[in-house]
Amino acid sequence: MRATAISAALLVAMVGAGCSNIERSRNLADPAVPGRVLALQVCSTCHGVDGNSVSPNFPRLAGQTEPYLIEQLTSFRSRGRADPAGFVYMWGLSKNLTDEQIKGLASYFAAQRPGAILYPSGNAALVDKGKALYDGGLPAKNIPPCAVCHGGDGQGNAQYPRVASQHADYLVKQLGAFQRAANRPDGGVMKNITHDLSGEDIAAIAAYAESLGFK
Amino acid sequence: MPFDCKQSVTERTRVLAAISSLWLLLVLAMPGSALAVPSFARQTGQNCVACHAGGQFPELTPYGRLFKLTGYTIGARAVPLSVMGVMSYARVRDTTKTDDRTVDFQKNNSLMFATGSVFLAGKVTDNIGAFVQVTYDNYSSQTVGPNGELGRFQGHSQADNMDFRYADRFVDANRDLIVGLSANNNPTVVDPWNSAAAWMQYVPGATPTSHQFVDGPYPEFGAGGNIAGASAYGYWNKTVYAELGLYRSANRGLSFMSAGIADINKTKLGGTNPYWRFAYTREWGAHNIMVGTSGMVAHVFDGGSDTSDPRNRGRVKNTGFDGQYQYLLDPHSVTAQASFMRQTQNYSANTMAAAAPPYFLSDGVTPISAANPSDTTNALRAKLSYVYQAKYGGSVSYFAVRGTTNTLNQTSGFDSTGLITSTDPNGTGIESARVAGNLSGNPATRGFNYEGFWTPVQYVRLGMQYTAYNKFNGASNNYDGFGRNAKDNNTLRFYIWAAY
Repeated sequence: MRATAISAALLVAMVGAGCSNIERSRNLADPAVPGRVLALQVCSTCHGVDGNSVSPNFPRLAGQTEPYLIEQLTSFRSRGRADPAGFVYMWGLSKNLTDEQIKGLASYFAAQRPGAILYPSGNAALVDKGKALYDGGLPAKNIPPCAVCHGGDGQGNAQYPRVASQHADYLVKQLGAFQRAANRPDGGVMKNITHDLSGEDIAAIAAYAESLGFK
Repeated sequence: MPFDCKQSVTERTRVLAAISSLWLLLVLAMPGSALAVPSFARQTGQNCVACHAGGQFPELTPYGRLFKLTGYTIGARAVPLSVMGVMSYARVRDTTKTDDRTVDFQKNNSLMFATGSVFLAGKVTDNIGAFVQVTYDNYSSQTVGPNGELGRFQGHSQADNMDFRYADRFVDANRDLIVGLSANNNPTVVDPWNSAAAWMQYVPGATPTSHQFVDGPYPEFGAGGNIAGASAYGYWNKTVYAELGLYRSANRGLSFMSAGIADINKTKLGGTNPYWRFAYTREWGAHNIMVGTSGMVAHVFDGGSDTSDPRNRGRVKNTGFDGQYQYLLDPHSVTAQASFMRQTQNYSANTMAAAAPPYFLSDGVTPISAANPSDTTNALRAKLSYVYQAKYGGSVSYFAVRGTTNTLNQTSGFDSTGLITSTDPNGTGIESARVAGNLSGNPATRGFNYEGFWTPVQYVRLGMQYTAYNKFNGASNNYDGFGRNAKDNNTLRFYIWAAY
């Protein structure tokens, strides 16, 4: 008798409290939920509350340029961006987002302060090589310096994303995606740029970018 | 209609096996599609790999754990229905040391449709979600003829894991607190780590006795499942987890939590029984780790006994330590679980009053010692797995059970003529059990389980397991008194596991 009463009370409490609070909603298909709330309730799970993701499996979003974030979320929603991790994790999450929610998400993460990578992957020699490539490019192969578009401190510029303090593993995978696959159509310009980069060049550039701090 | 009430069970089983094989072939032949996913994935739109480490359901990634902890409420409400099925094959190393192969090694060397489940699982509201599983066992029982001969297998469905949740998450720049309540029917069903008893055995087993040695024993709670409980939990700053639960028998209004189970087989608890669980977690780089502890004190009635008589009630105390480690960085998934459970069981007064194990020592004259009123068992399980590209994987698992010796647990022994026999030629009325028998009265069982698997598309997994014993029922050699050795129980198993 008591058990039934307890469980009935539990059920009533659950159903009654089910009148949900939009400020703590995890509903990805409700246009009324602000982007900021989705960032905290859902996106933070992988990307961190402050956008400084712990796992290299998920890119850091803190301080990322707002136009770039908008473009990526829109591209995931339309399934234009189809790199494997993007496809697996992001297609489903973004499919019902409205333009306003995307803007809200982008402005939330753009406003976060990037932190240093706690466990950098590169060694000093690799980082030095990466700096030379980042600042000087590879003139012999007509490859311009990354700094031209991504900024001298890797801070990004409009649609050219911030790469400073980004997980090196993520940068390597994306540079590989630009170079070898056609699954990031928005980065068409990157296809030519990465075309003649060797695996070691890519690893070096990624290690250097990861080592850059907040400026 | 594939099924017709006039068909025999064997025919229905054959038809069911044929349909499932055909369905599996179709599923394997279909190109991989992000649209074809079970109900949680339909809700979030994500691939299985987002929540399941290396794609090996039911093992969870950190994101999968947060999905569960927030009450299965991430995403948009979808049709919450999924199904899963397992085809299974097992071959026991030795099927000669037995009185009857058709009893001790049913369906040996034979691929069959073993079990399937229907899930009602997913988001109800922004704070309420559920995971409800009903499982069909295709070999639940066998008919018995007038002369005791075993006949056809019969299938049966029953309630499996059930978890109805309310959860909320208070998160901002300074703190992250998840709180929740659960009405559930199994201690550790609420738990998001795969070192917990309900989630550590991945591939569902099968009832036919050819599968009785597959994968070895797992640490578990003495109270068993299909009871009725209410749990409250909190997870603070992705660091500290605490859960408290209270469990009772699944009676009256809550009897749906043990639906389909014959009354004589239901777990009956006395009063309200506490369960607790604490865990500490950390993430760094692509690594994450959990160390934790859990326990329960349960008053359990002897199976099928009169629950109005307290003399039918025993007490089981469980204390466990567990840990989990994962390294998840595409294309690699490395995961490890370790679980240790200590169980102290005090037998009921009526069990002790009736306890007079009939055996003698080998002289056929000296009776064996009296039964002990309590036993302590320690069960350890450690598993390491690796999956590449969420497609090709394998695992190694070690199991070790140790415990006190008790003549109460002896099912083989010498009769009054100094014979160990299962046929009682001298009419002593004392018989021993072959294959499943225990001559020592000690539970010690130890061995390894090796597995390799292939997940060609995210919702189908084909795998092989080999379970190797170096100790079984207290001995490496002659554990049943009839010359059966632990390694005679080594089993090769093949399975096809699909979910939709």
